[in-house]
Amino acid sequence: MNIYLAALLKVVGVLAFVLGNAFILIWAERKISGYMQRRYGPLRVGGPAGLLQSAADILKLMAKEDFVPGGADLWLWWLAPAVALVPAVLVYLVLPIGRSFVLQNLSIGLVFFASVTSFTLIGIFMAGWGSNNKYSLLGAMRAGAQLFSYEIPLILSTIGVVMLTGSLTLQRIVAAQANVWFVVPQIVGFLVFYVASLAELNRTPFDLAEAESELIAGYFTEYSGIRWAMFAVAEYSNLFTTSALAVTLFLGGWRPLPLLAFIPGWVWFVLKTYVLVFVGIWIRWTLPRVRIDQLMDLGWKFLFPVSVANVLVTALVLAVR
Amino acid sequence: MNGPMVAFACLAGLTLYSAWRVATAPQVTHAALFLAATFAGVAGLFFLLQADFLAAVQLLLYAGAVMTVVIFAIMLSEMREVESDARGWRSLLLSPRLGIVPLVGGVGLAAILLSAYHRAAPSWPLSPLPAAPDSTRFIAHALFHAYALPFEVASVLLLAAMIGAIILTRTEGGAKG
Repeated sequence: MNIYLAALLKVVGVLAFVLGNAFILIWAERKISGYMQRRYGPLRVGGPAGLLQSAADILKLMAKEDFVPGGADLWLWWLAPAVALVPAVLVYLVLPIGRSFVLQNLSIGLVFFASVTSFTLIGIFMAGWGSNNKYSLLGAMRAGAQLFSYEIPLILSTIGVVMLTGSLTLQRIVAAQANVWFVVPQIVGFLVFYVASLAELNRTPFDLAEAESELIAGYFTEYSGIRWAMFAVAEYSNLFTTSALAVTLFLGGWRPLPLLAFIPGWVWFVLKTYVLVFVGIWIRWTLPRVRIDQLMDLGWKFLFPVSVANVLVTALVLAVR
Repeated sequence: MNGPMVAFACLAGLTLYSAWRVATAPQVTHAALFLAATFAGVAGLFFLLQADFLAAVQLLLYAGAVMTVVIFAIMLSEMREVESDARGWRSLLLSPRLGIVPLVGGVGLAAILLSAYHRAAPSWPLSPLPAAPDSTRFIAHALFHAYALPFEVASVLLLAAMIGAIILTRTEGGAKG
């Protein structure tokens, strides 16, 4: 097949999945929060199982006025949602969905994932700066400090897995978990990774960048309609891909549970990912938001040393063995 | 024109245009964001050369980490639009956008580079070298074996710069809180 046609098909497929994923996750978040907090609205509204509510939301967002704040830095303001969405879509390139099902088996898959997601920050800063609004700018700066601080433990916590595998290719990392999932030898790495990834996703208890009680909505205060939807879609897509990376690195990727190997690998991959996504939603509706100094303390004084110690201990064990 | 040529043209155009805008943007925030675009363009060129590890690190460290630090530096400093205080002949000579000195300098530099390229190009091997199958391993081997000492010296230099920055910005008697 023509490589350009293949590339186009991949992009269209990923975009379709990203939109469907946002649709499902918005519905799931409403329902789960409804059950956890006894919210009447999400439990009763919206036709069969509340599914129509998501559809109504999409129609509303597309029909809404695309409001431009006065004095906005137009170029930055227009481009920001796209800059935030592109990395969210790009990371699907390296996710190992099945035994031989990966869009592009890059030899540097893990580094690619980290480097592409680090670009999200630029989109957030463009939104905060371009909106010409102090809440937006404060939210963007908080997001910057937070993403920057938690990226270091996030990346360090994956080093242990890379040392055990000897490869940065995500398919090889999954292949190396044939005997035992890496969550067993790398339990510390997994816990650090999961906490840091929740912070990277700007979700409660780490949603200081959009803390409603302080900053209205943070960096996308001024956005409405379809541009706001692009930010929301990117956030839900990031929730999925970060959980998928955790599954790939620590929970055996597409590897099935024993005795259930007749179910195909991609089903396992998606299933495990959505279990982790559920844990993320669960944490969001259970824990209150932390303060900014607690956030920085947790990142720099706890997660960072722990992840460095994890790398050292892994290296020691590998050297002794 | 084939696919890689088109990609090269787009990336080179992006890199050059945003590098030019870094120097000419009146707002320092815009300059910083154009710098990020320049880094991204260079990363794309690395990808095109099949140096995938370098490209990813370029994005991770320059477009990600360095840009964050630059943005924080801007936010912590006093911001105002840079208004050229040069008027008249000085502006005509020195303004980065339409001044004579930057124009002559830029064109001269490009001419030197192009002529050097034309002189050297015939002696370059025409058959491209095969790209390293695992460039990560190759780079790691080079960094930690052949060039281990320069690598360590560079890290000591960076440490010294960091300590220097802390000493320079520390207020008398230590910062509060």
